[in-house]
Amino acid sequence: MAEYKGMAQPSRASDEDMRKIHIEPVPDEQKPEKAVEYLDYIRKQFRSFVMAMETCTKCGQCAENCHTYLGTRDPNNIPANRAELIRKIYRRYFTLEGRWFGSLVGAEDISLDLIETWYSYFYQCSQCRRCGHVCPFGIDTCEVTFIGRQLLHWLGITPKLHSDVGAAMERVGNHTNMPKPALADTLEFMCEEAYDEFGVEIEMPLDKPADILYVPSSADFLLNPYTLMCAGMFFHYIGASWTIPSAVTEAGNFGFLFDQYYTQRHNIMRLLNAAQELDTKKIVWGECGHGWRAAKMYIPTKADRPVRWDITHLHDEAAHLIRNGELKLDPNKNSRPVTLHDPCNYVRACGLNENMRTCIKASCSNFVEMEPYGYDNFCCGGGSGILFDDPDMYNKRIQLSWKKAEQVRETGVGKNGDGILCAPCSICKAQLYPMVEEHNLGVEVKGLIDLVGKALVWD
Amino acid sequence: MKLLIGQILPYITIIIFVLGVFYRLGRWVGTQIIHNITLSDPWLKTNGQVAVRIGTEAFLFRNFFIFDKALWAGALLMHLSLLNVLGGHVVGFGTLGTQFAFIPGVSEQLSQSLSNDLGTIFGILLFVALAYLLIRRLSITPIKQLNKPSDILWLVFLLLIVGVGDIMRFFHQFHVEYEPVRDYVIALGTFQPVVNMELLSNPVFLVHFTLVNILLILFPFSKLMHLFGMFAERWIVNRTYHEPAPGMPNIDVAAARKAGLGLPSSGGGAESSSEGV
Repeated sequence: MAEYKGMAQPSRASDEDMRKIHIEPVPDEQKPEKAVEYLDYIRKQFRSFVMAMETCTKCGQCAENCHTYLGTRDPNNIPANRAELIRKIYRRYFTLEGRWFGSLVGAEDISLDLIETWYSYFYQCSQCRRCGHVCPFGIDTCEVTFIGRQLLHWLGITPKLHSDVGAAMERVGNHTNMPKPALADTLEFMCEEAYDEFGVEIEMPLDKPADILYVPSSADFLLNPYTLMCAGMFFHYIGASWTIPSAVTEAGNFGFLFDQYYTQRHNIMRLLNAAQELDTKKIVWGECGHGWRAAKMYIPTKADRPVRWDITHLHDEAAHLIRNGELKLDPNKNSRPVTLHDPCNYVRACGLNENMRTCIKASCSNFVEMEPYGYDNFCCGGGSGILFDDPDMYNKRIQLSWKKAEQVRETGVGKNGDGILCAPCSICKAQLYPMVEEHNLGVEVKGLIDLVGKALVWD
Repeated sequence: MKLLIGQILPYITIIIFVLGVFYRLGRWVGTQIIHNITLSDPWLKTNGQVAVRIGTEAFLFRNFFIFDKALWAGALLMHLSLLNVLGGHVVGFGTLGTQFAFIPGVSEQLSQSLSNDLGTIFGILLFVALAYLLIRRLSITPIKQLNKPSDILWLVFLLLIVGVGDIMRFFHQFHVEYEPVRDYVIALGTFQPVVNMELLSNPVFLVHFTLVNILLILFPFSKLMHLFGMFAERWIVNRTYHEPAPGMPNIDVAAARKAGLGLPSSGGGAESSSEGV
C-alpha cells in the first residue's frame, strides 16, 4: 500500500518482516487503544516531548523554515501542525483542557485514520531540527516524530526500508546485508583502486586489533567507494594503527530513526563489544549524519555500561591535523567549483560546522558557500532515512529536495556542468545522487573526505 | 453578584492559578531530559553563554529577530507593552502613581502625570500589538493553517481585557482612582473586611476585573503557560556541552611522511589522475 485515503505512504513491512525485528503487529481494531496506551507510557519519560506538546503557541515561524513544507505546501507538513497530529491525542487523553474543551483547544479522539496519518506525515519529516533551530522556544519537532515513529513501530507499522535495515543490522551488523567475506573483498579491491587512481599503496585492515576503530557507513562499500577509499588513504597517510570492525561496518543506526529502544541499543552494544575485542583506544566515525548524532549524542545515554572510549568524527580528526599543519594538501587537485551541503545532524546536533569548512577550504581551490549555510542550512530532503523508492514517495522526495535544488542553483557551481556538491553523509548522498539529476543541477555529489583524500600530497 | 465577584471570586482565582501552575510544572518536573539533545548552533561552553542565549531568546526574541522581523516587531511590542502594563498595575496602584518620585528631581505630581501618560501609551501599544498579531493570524496562509479556535479566542480575549482597560483611561465617566483600588486589593490580600466595594458599580471596571479573574483561572490550562515553558524547553536544547578532544592515539604524521608511507615501493605506480575523484 503506497496510499491511504489520498495520503502518500511508504511501503510498509509485512507482519513477517516485523517479526524479524521482534515486533508482533497489533491488530487494526486494537491499534487506537494501544496507541494511547503506548503514548501514555512514553510521555511520562521524555521532557523534550512533553515540552513540545505543551509549549507551542502556533506562532508559525517554523513553517517557512521547513523544507518539507516549502516543497509540498501541505498544511500537515508545517512542523507545528505535524506535531499537532500527536498533540491532539495528547490533549484529549492527557490534559484537563483537552478533556473539558475538546475541539475548541484542538483535542481529538484517537482513530485508525489518525494513526495512518501519522504514518504518512512522520515519514515525510526529515528530523533535521531546523524548526527547533528557528523556534523561539527551541521546540524540537524531531522529538515528536521520533516518538510518533516509535509508537507506529510498536503498533507494527514500519516502512519496509527501515524494517529491512533493522533486520540486516541484527544479522550482519550493517544496513546493506554485506557479510564479512564481501567486506574483505571490497576492501582489497579498494586498495587496488587507490593504487590505480592515486598511485598510492595502502592497507585497509579488517578486524585487526588496532588503536583506532574506524566505523564507515556500509553504503561506502557500495555507493560511495571514494569516501571509504579516501578515509583509508587518510589513515595510511598519517601512519595510524587503525581497523574496521566487521561486527559493525555501519556508521548509521536506523534504530535511531524508527526504534530507539531495542534496535538502536542493540547496534550500539554490538559496536562497544567489537571495540573491546579489537583492543581499541579511540573510535572514529565515518560520514553519516544521523549515525553520527546517534553515536556522539546517544551512545553515552543508551549504552548498557559506561563507555570507555572517546568517539570523534573523521572530519574532527582531519580538521585537527590540518590546523596543526600536519596534512599536506594541494587544493589545486580539486579545482572544480565546489559547494557544501551541511548535513543537518552535523551542524545542528553535532557541532561539525567549523571543522567541515576547515577541511573543504584546505582541499579545494574553488569553494562557494550556499545560502543559507552552516547551522541555517536546509536538509537534502532525504534526512532520517526517508529514501523511499515507491513512485508516490519518490515523487515526494523530489518535492522535498526542491529547496536544496534552489540553493545549489544559486551558487552557480553547476552552471558549466562540472560542479561538485559535497554532501558528507550517506543519506544525503543517497538522496542527492538521483535528485541532482531530477533537478538538472550540473553537479556531481561527493563526500568530504573524498576531497581531502584526493588533495593529499604524498611525497 | 458583587459579593461573589468582588469578594469570593478573587480567592478562587488565586487558588486555581497557583495550584494549576504547580500542577503543570509538576508534570514537567516528573519527566526527564534523557538524551543530550542540545542544539549545536553553536554549542554553549559556559553557563554564562547559556544565560545569554536563553536571556536573549526570552527577553529580546532572538530567533524572531533573525528569521522573521515582522513577527519579531509585533511579538516584542506586545510582550514589552504587557510587561509595562502589568508592572504599571503593581507599582502604579501600589504607590498611587508616585513611583517615579524616587528619581531625584521628579516631584510626586510629575510622577503621577508620568505614570498616567505611560499607562495610557502602553495600554494603546498593547492593544495595537495584539490587534496586529490577530490580523497576522487571520491573514497569513501557513498561520491560518495552524489556527485552532482557542488560538484566536485568546487574542480576542486579551484584546477585550486591554480594550476595556483602555476605556477606563479614555472615558472620564468610567475613570478609576488608584487609591480605592489599592485599598480594596490590600483588604482582600490581608483578609480584612473588604472596602470600596462601590468600585464594582463601575460596569467597565467590573468587566475588566471579572475577565482578568477568568484569564487567571484558565492560565494554567492554556498556551499562556509558554511563559514558563519557554525556559523549560530552552533548558533542554541550550545547555553546556564539551566536545571530546580531537587527536588520535600513537600518531606521528611527520615520521610517517618521512618513511614515505603509501608511496609505491616499486616506484612504478600509476600516474596521479586528475579526474579520479
